[in-house]
Amino acid sequence: MTKQKKSSDDNLKGTLFATFGVGLVIIIVWVYCFDLFIGRF
Amino acid sequence: MTTATKETTQSTITTSVKEKIEKVDRRDAKLALAHIYVAFIALFLGGIAGLLQVLVRSGSFDLPSFINYYQVLTVHGVLLGLVLTTFFIMGFQAAGVSRSCGTFTDKQRAIGWAGFWVSTVGLVAAAAMILTNEASVLYTFYAPLQAHWIYYLGLALVIVGSWLSSLAQVMRFNQWRKEHKGQTTPLLGFMVVVNNFLWFVATLGVAVEVLVQLIPWSLGLVERVDVLLSRTLFWYFGHALVYFWLLPAYMIWYVVIPKVIGGKIFSDALAKLSFMLFLILSVPVGLHHQFTEPGIDPLWKFIQTILTMFVVVPSLMTAFSLFATFELRGRELGGKGIFGWFKKLPWNDSRFLLPFIAMVAFIPGGATGIVNASYQLNELVHNTIWVTGHFHLTVATGVALTYIGAAFWLIPHLNGRKLTKRANSMANCVGILWAIGMAIMSGAMHVAGLLGAPRRSAYSTYGGSEQATEWISYQVAQAIGGSILFIAILIITALIIYVSFFAPKGEEEFPIGEVAAGSAPTPAILENFKVWGVIMIAVIIFAYTIPIFDIINNSPLGSVGYKLW
Repeated sequence: MTKQKKSSDDNLKGTLFATFGVGLVIIIVWVYCFDLFIGRF
Repeated sequence: MTTATKETTQSTITTSVKEKIEKVDRRDAKLALAHIYVAFIALFLGGIAGLLQVLVRSGSFDLPSFINYYQVLTVHGVLLGLVLTTFFIMGFQAAGVSRSCGTFTDKQRAIGWAGFWVSTVGLVAAAAMILTNEASVLYTFYAPLQAHWIYYLGLALVIVGSWLSSLAQVMRFNQWRKEHKGQTTPLLGFMVVVNNFLWFVATLGVAVEVLVQLIPWSLGLVERVDVLLSRTLFWYFGHALVYFWLLPAYMIWYVVIPKVIGGKIFSDALAKLSFMLFLILSVPVGLHHQFTEPGIDPLWKFIQTILTMFVVVPSLMTAFSLFATFELRGRELGGKGIFGWFKKLPWNDSRFLLPFIAMVAFIPGGATGIVNASYQLNELVHNTIWVTGHFHLTVATGVALTYIGAAFWLIPHLNGRKLTKRANSMANCVGILWAIGMAIMSGAMHVAGLLGAPRRSAYSTYGGSEQATEWISYQVAQAIGGSILFIAILIITALIIYVSFFAPKGEEEFPIGEVAAGSAPTPAILENFKVWGVIMIAVIIFAYTIPIFDIINNSPLGSVGYKLW
């Protein structure tokens, strides 16, 4: 069986990680504020 | 006619049609420019008001006796939140429709001009009331603060004018559809129509508030106003207003940026789906601005919280689509590894750099917005200057910096001039200054807000309170950041004057990207405004009928008007 070389042009790994990064920023900010909220109320 | 002659004639016609559509018609360009010039006058004057505010709040500057802090605050909010945005959007959209769907007919252009003049008359009327200290009620004009009736009428005229401008754009788009039956609509034209549809439905709320409640009340025809109803109608409009600001920035991100970087639009279908989701989710979420208001059942606040969180979906779709466009282009240029493509992007091109900074700012802006919209967490930040920090990331950077970056190439495109290399470098400096100034100012606002510092209010030590002392260093930081931003605004003003009147004559491109060859065709359902319109109205009826019925049914006596300034 011959191995098919995947074109690097179609590689969207960076996009996936960058979008996860956006999600991570959202989660970090939210959890930080939630922690403050729990501490104060 | 020989075959060769036929081909040459055909080629000439194709080139001629292409040139026609790639260059916005001069008559349409004048209409767009008129709007854009008003927008940038507003940016300059609103910027001065912003500088005065941060200086006052630093505690080391007093305003002259003929002007008060809340007047300055009203000028800042109205000029930047309503005038800069609405006028730029109508100008950009007029140019965008003309570029993507074709030149306006004389009738459509006349409607566009009528819209411009109605809005401008309204703006002058509202501005006169603010400057004579008859309307220091901020841009949210919350009752029971009562402004002069001319202020409300002026703002209503700005909105009516924008309806007329929108109508002209929608008519041109519909004309294109009739002339190209069965074809996929131009992405930019489609996006303009979605934004106009959203704007029309959203402004109905504020139109009812102003015409039915505030104008009769300020004229003395009725003595009292239902405060909760007025605020609910305002926020029915007010949150969708945020998306009305944002979607034109998304148009630039989705459609213009791919061409600027030499890449392709990742997917026409994904972009259209994302806009339709914004359409149905923008209005029925206003109650998340009213979490602390008594008189609204918590169940409906909770339901609208959930609807607000759904907005994360089209936002992350947009993030994915933009990253994909960047990555595919960066890899084409030889970028290796997971993030190697990032270095290949055109960092020296202001048409890319400014919107890119705007996109980056929008990430923490969106994250802090989710905190604001979380029912319980809102208690932590409600009415604190955290909220001001939040919308200076989203609107004053994510949106405004995209508009500013676009104006630097759009104005020369419209008036037949060039964005020179030196002007491009200055524009890049603006982007960097804006990023630094906003990071300092907005960052300090967020921290001070978490420490309890209130928004809107002028400088005060609150009787020497220990807690208020903690805020002062952050207020000084806000003044430093705000001053840097003001320097950026001065450079922007100079650049706008330069590209408008002094830049060399020539051709500047209005970049519109093409959809990537391998992307799936756009399903017809995504372009069916009737279907999405019905869904939108149904969700609004679901989210607002019972809360508004309850508010009216259990309404108290209402409030007389107050002028506290």
